[in-house]
Amino acid sequence: MAAAPPAPADAVVVGDGLTKRFGSVLAVDSLSFALAPGTITGFLGPNGAGKTTTLRMLLGLAAPSSGSASVFGRQYSELTRPALRIGAVLEATDFHPGRSGRDHLRTLSRSASLPDARVDEVLRLVELDEAAGRRVKGYSLGMRQRLGLAAALLGDPELLILDEPANGLDPEGVRWLRDFLRAFATGGRTVLVSSHVLAEVAQTVDQVLIINHGRLVVESSLEQLTARVGGSVRVRTPERAKLREALERSQIEATIVDEQGLLVHGASSEKIGDLAFAAGVPIHELVAEGSSLEDVFLELTAEPQP
Amino acid sequence: MTAQVRAELLKIRSTRTTIGIVLGMIALILLFSLLSGLLTQAQSLTSTEDQRGLLGVGSLAGVFSALAGIMLVTSEYRFGTIRPTFLFTPKRSRVVGAKLAAGLLAGLVFGVVGEGLGFAIGYASLSGRGVPYALSGGQTSLLLFGTVAGVALWGALGVGIGMVVRNQVGAIIGLLAWGFVAENLLFAFVPSVGRFAPTHASDALMGLTTDHLLPAAAGGAALVAWTVAFGLAAVALAARRDVN
Repeated sequence: MAAAPPAPADAVVVGDGLTKRFGSVLAVDSLSFALAPGTITGFLGPNGAGKTTTLRMLLGLAAPSSGSASVFGRQYSELTRPALRIGAVLEATDFHPGRSGRDHLRTLSRSASLPDARVDEVLRLVELDEAAGRRVKGYSLGMRQRLGLAAALLGDPELLILDEPANGLDPEGVRWLRDFLRAFATGGRTVLVSSHVLAEVAQTVDQVLIINHGRLVVESSLEQLTARVGGSVRVRTPERAKLREALERSQIEATIVDEQGLLVHGASSEKIGDLAFAAGVPIHELVAEGSSLEDVFLELTAEPQP
Repeated sequence: MTAQVRAELLKIRSTRTTIGIVLGMIALILLFSLLSGLLTQAQSLTSTEDQRGLLGVGSLAGVFSALAGIMLVTSEYRFGTIRPTFLFTPKRSRVVGAKLAAGLLAGLVFGVVGEGLGFAIGYASLSGRGVPYALSGGQTSLLLFGTVAGVALWGALGVGIGMVVRNQVGAIIGLLAWGFVAENLLFAFVPSVGRFAPTHASDALMGLTTDHLLPAAAGGAALVAWTVAFGLAAVALAARRDVN
């Protein structure tokens, strides 16, 4: 693999030839990447691709076999009170079932010398204040996900790292998470969110890191990835001109098909739908033609040719 | 460091497991001190060693403080809370050090409660049955302080054992099998070695004078040495091992 260009100086998270070997298995193979501040990055790959192992190395829970990872220019383990800069959730189930949600957060806030009042703030933020006194045993998966998020937010961090946060969430929970991450990232804060399903994060992320078998397959913006799709989206709308204008404002090309039809190039149907909604244009039909984003993802992460 | 100790103490206080351990300790000490205080024949309660056995029944609290120490570490691995713990405090030696301190403090409370209860019941049954109190002031102080100190050290030793073993069931079974079976066999067959082992060192620390036991100060030193050895092993292993 060619040497990666040096990471930009302001990069929040940097992986540099990150490698992890378990016996004869190469779980992560010379992974190099850099995350710019203020971005939401989707860290994608099929199950077993090495995402969690990479995150564990980033967060100082596992030692790389070779290479290095840094967060805000330092190794995670060298940070004092890292909770004030980085919030991370690796597993949705990391709670003592017999401890209340509030006490779980208090054990963490104490270790970071944060006031108990901050615990109540984050509980309100994730809408768990009413359940906080109950033992975690009785929490639904969605509540546990939010409690984990609350722990990550205790120190009001600038960087959020979440491993498969949408796993097991119902559609309403997924939407809540998406809205939350968007709100978090406005204001220059950075998010790294892993998933094995591109569609889960496609509406949220600015850029993607796709890995397979421990190797980096793609590092690009979501738009570039969408452009790679090469397909187009057929849209039917009674306000064709207005939609075309809105699309052009976002540098998205569209050709006229007929009285109510447009063919949009190089944009996902999610993006087009969002733009149309923002512009107040009603959509009657939205059909992806050719290969979809998900097809490209599956193609990129397919078993390598022998 | 103080912040981390406060966090660890809250972990101990905030689960029902701890309440269960404390209640179990109180029940067992009540049972043993009442049984031996009321059912033992009066002439078997007259010697200083007889009375140390009766009045020092609170040393049973050591099993429970060791369990609390083991739980403080192994439940973190069992339920995965070790991940957020290390994410908040990536200096693992600080986490282990705080757990050792918290185990010692919790053990101190266990010791005061357990030996307070055991001594009170034992003393009441002696005076209720008209058996004259045989221990001198110095022997009584050694019994009280030695027992409490031993129980406290077992709390920290439990943390060390828990961090070395990590598996909850394995650590608990290991503790009980060693303390109640293996070490007694060792002491019975090779007392010159067995007397340095931790439960017999605690017996010596509380002033018991059974054949082959170490003197009290040496017993205390041996128990401290075990605690330090497991503590150092815990620190070294925690720093080296990846967290899944």
